[in-house]
Amino acid sequence: MEAALTAPAMSLGTVTSPFRPGADMDDVALAVGGDADAFERLYRRHVPRVNALARWLVAPSDAEDAVQEVFIRVWEKLGTFAGQSAFGTWLHRVAVNVMLRRRQNLGRDRARVTDDEFALTLVADGPRQPELRMAIEQAVDGLPPGAREVFVLHDMEGYKHDEIAELLGVDPGTSRSQLHRARMMLRKVLA
Amino acid sequence: MHEEWTDLMSAAVDGELDPVTTRRLESHLAGCAECAAVMADLRGLIAAASSYQGVAPASDLWPGIKGRIDATKVLPFARRSRARFGFRELLAAGIVMAAAGAGGSWYWTHREPAALAVADRPVSGAGFELTSTAYDSALAELGRTLTARRGQLDTSTVRVLERSIRTIDQAVAEARAAIQRDTANAYLNEQIAANLRQKLNLLKAATRAINSAT
Repeated sequence: MEAALTAPAMSLGTVTSPFRPGADMDDVALAVGGDADAFERLYRRHVPRVNALARWLVAPSDAEDAVQEVFIRVWEKLGTFAGQSAFGTWLHRVAVNVMLRRRQNLGRDRARVTDDEFALTLVADGPRQPELRMAIEQAVDGLPPGAREVFVLHDMEGYKHDEIAELLGVDPGTSRSQLHRARMMLRKVLA
Repeated sequence: MHEEWTDLMSAAVDGELDPVTTRRLESHLAGCAECAAVMADLRGLIAAASSYQGVAPASDLWPGIKGRIDATKVLPFARRSRARFGFRELLAAGIVMAAAGAGGSWYWTHREPAALAVADRPVSGAGFELTSTAYDSALAELGRTLTARRGQLDTSTVRVLERSIRTIDQAVAEARAAIQRDTANAYLNEQIAANLRQKLNLLKAATRAINSAT
């Protein structure tokens, strides 16, 4: 029983984290002093996840511009990083804010959260990717937009439902139901 | 699979289910292999999502970012309107950096011989002495700046600064001791010199920050 509640049976693989908090702090200290090389190192360590966020939170055609805007914003705000959390955590908060604001500016706001049936079947019916990272990426790509955003923010970025509700302008209950929906859809595709 | 139970699973894995319902769910899972498998899958999915590391952009975006940074000439400090706040942050980073430096010294002086064999490749230039001298100078300047500006900084900032200086000083002393114990190790010398150069940059940035904050 306890095992059923705690043991992960679906093995999607765990990627070794490239993040090294100590290296981040060193480079933040240098970048704050204007060292662009140190900032480039921060960029290269963190751009994959920021890019994934952009892929799922803004339109794919807008993703690269959004990533660039995130890192320029981070450069400008670096002096306000308090070091109370990991740099990556702070960066992702900045990234989410930049992307959601960008999306609102493009006129895609709350409607996306209530968007419904999407082409998850495209993923389910397509050839199964042998590589697990690609499998989860494609599965998340195929989620309905509202469920995808909540899943990315909650399960990948660690936001709480109250925070998601505020960010997306929805009810916390909607966030919960969208998350469950996303998880069940993904489970069906990936199991 | 029973929907009335699977509907509760997300809340259960997030710890949002009340104890009574949790026990009921556990009881059901104990007797329903299909639902137990769903629950395990959800756990696995959440673990995979939280460890997902992303994918690099199709093209390298750094040149564009660097170009815009250079074009705007905006420095992280220059944009701040509340310099004193950022200054504290810098010092907090300094503490972490200094602690990491001390750990680095420990590593380089305590690592296994096998690691030494791999790591001790020939390097040119033993920059420790040169960097160490510059470091002393920067530390002294920071001390002088602090003394001159003490009255203009709030007490908590001064406390953080003094603590940072002590921590950094200790890390430098450890580095020097490590060099003395292993003077012939060029790689150790170069590594510690590189570490000191980073701290030197930090101290210079801290001194600039004090001057701009007061």
